[in-house]
Amino acid sequence: MATVSPEITSSHFQFWNWNRKQFRSFGAKATPYLLILPVILYYAFFWLRPVMVSIKGAFTGAEGQLTLQNFVMVANDPSFWPAVTNTTIIVIFSVTLEFILALGLALIINRKFAGSGFFLFIAMIPMALPAATVGAMWITGLTAHGWVNSLLLYLGILEEGQKIYWLAGGRATLLALIIILDAWTVIPSVMIILLAGLQNIPPETEEAGYVFGGSYFTVTRDITIPILQPTIQTAVILRLIAAIQIWMVIVLILGFSRMPVLVERIVYYHDELSNLDISFQMANGYTLIVSVVVSSVALLYLLVSGAFKKDVEAVK
Amino acid sequence: MTKKRNFKPIKTTVFYIFLTGIISVILVPVFFVVSLSFLSTREAYRFPLPLLPALEMKFSLTFGERGYLLSVYDRVDEEYQTVLDTKELDKMAVYMKSQLNTPVTIPELEEQIARLESEDPVYFSLKTNLLANYATFFKVAGTGEAIPALIRSLQVALMTIIISVSIGGMAGYAFARYAFPGRNMLKFSVLFVRMFPGVAIALPMVIILARIGFYDNPIGLALVYSVGSIALTVWITASIFMGIPVSLEEAALVFGANKFQAFIKMTLPLALPGLAAAAMYSFLGAWNETVAALILTQFNPTFAVIVYQTVLGAVGQVNLAAAGGMAMALPAIIFTFFIRRYIRQMWGGMTV
Repeated sequence: MATVSPEITSSHFQFWNWNRKQFRSFGAKATPYLLILPVILYYAFFWLRPVMVSIKGAFTGAEGQLTLQNFVMVANDPSFWPAVTNTTIIVIFSVTLEFILALGLALIINRKFAGSGFFLFIAMIPMALPAATVGAMWITGLTAHGWVNSLLLYLGILEEGQKIYWLAGGRATLLALIIILDAWTVIPSVMIILLAGLQNIPPETEEAGYVFGGSYFTVTRDITIPILQPTIQTAVILRLIAAIQIWMVIVLILGFSRMPVLVERIVYYHDELSNLDISFQMANGYTLIVSVVVSSVALLYLLVSGAFKKDVEAVK
Repeated sequence: MTKKRNFKPIKTTVFYIFLTGIISVILVPVFFVVSLSFLSTREAYRFPLPLLPALEMKFSLTFGERGYLLSVYDRVDEEYQTVLDTKELDKMAVYMKSQLNTPVTIPELEEQIARLESEDPVYFSLKTNLLANYATFFKVAGTGEAIPALIRSLQVALMTIIISVSIGGMAGYAFARYAFPGRNMLKFSVLFVRMFPGVAIALPMVIILARIGFYDNPIGLALVYSVGSIALTVWITASIFMGIPVSLEEAALVFGANKFQAFIKMTLPLALPGLAAAAMYSFLGAWNETVAALILTQFNPTFAVIVYQTVLGAVGQVNLAAAGGMAMALPAIIFTFFIRRYIRQMWGGMTV
């Protein structure tokens, strides 16, 4: 094309003819790419390739033919729709509940106080605990003779000889229970994220609101929350991604298949039912569904956080 | 007196009561599972559950129909309760060790029985072994695989750290120091990879790793864990390097160092605490991960898998499940303590 800049000549591509200066300038431009190259190669081998294999696997039948049969099988799995609805209910309710409570707590705590470092560390503990530990905590707590009933007895809420059978409830009770357990794990951390965001707001902005006659409620609604919005977005989306993949706590307290959710089905078909012919295809089908859902949320995140903005703007 | 002076102490008090409330909601379940991890098997199934483990157990011994009648003081019912009627002392010792966490030797038991001639019943007490559940867990969990699994978990975590800090750190430096076309897109692509569900990579990795001989192998797991860990390290190290002024490196260049030397001598020492935090983050990711480990191991599980399996079959052994859970949680909590500042930065800083 005619618009090729005059500096770019064929000698640019014949690096064996380059002089020292040309090498230097190429080197300077290439350095960042060379530094990033290992990550790109690593991801090509250990991420892109398995993802491709996974997609291919989801569309491959038992005899290696290209087919949609896996998805038909998944859709006909009696636990598929329960898994979809359970996951949806858990995601919607737990993320909403966690956010309202975490935001409320963060707004109340948002001030400097003695012992704040200690408090924030305590608040990090539930999220830091491995899922198996959290599972151990609640399975030992929620059995009829577990510590939750013991605690209620000590507090005088239950009477001697009375027990609550936590895990014997119906679907709605168990879902509520799981949402509450997840809230225990997650709310303190979300609260810390929001608190960090709140403390980055310069006090003058809120003070200005009060000067102009705002009440605590209007200042929070019209000034604090809008400024906090990027933090809220990040935290909500990260929570969504985690909530879609919740499974271990459910399996550890209720066992497999009692409260099916999407990722639980993958583990179930891969680990618990691995001797069946169809289990590999089933696991593949469920995996693709989870991947598509999570990727969509992740893309949404990239969109709202400005990943697709022009570089010039971002680098500045 | 003004209104303000009146209200402030009350407000502060209410505030701290509120904080205490939150802290108790967080810590009460933790307290119970810690306490349970020290309780003897017999006490772990009492209702209500004793709040704290007993440091000492009180026993009484008398003659029974089949031999000697062993009773133990029950803290819940506040009375001695008969637990065993046997004349085989080794059986008695085994029961006391496994069910009551009070290790005792046969001569010690014989000594108490000898006292029966002068007094009946004989009362005596024994110290409990508080760490007994942990010892049992490491001995029996995963049919003796707990300690090898622990070593494997450490190997996996270490390899994950090495891979992700070296590869991710380089990229993080590039993102922090250079402006180049595609920078933003690449940085977020890396984040996208991290958000991608790990279980979705683990399943196809079974075939890929089997082909290169790393299925059911710590190396294979480290390769899989590094995928998520590299992305995190890129973001953490990028923010760390951004916080270190370029002028330091430039100064070193003025004094005749080359770019690499400038980095090693000036930037790296300043970045070390942050890099350590990134390493600990990678450790936690590898240490806590269970799904991929379940899928990618068979005869060589990681510690997380062993704990998961113990908890899954926990109905018979709640105190062992609690001990396993706590053994698993301890490194996680310690590392979280060290990197708590960075965790907050990460969460706050992810917004970009």
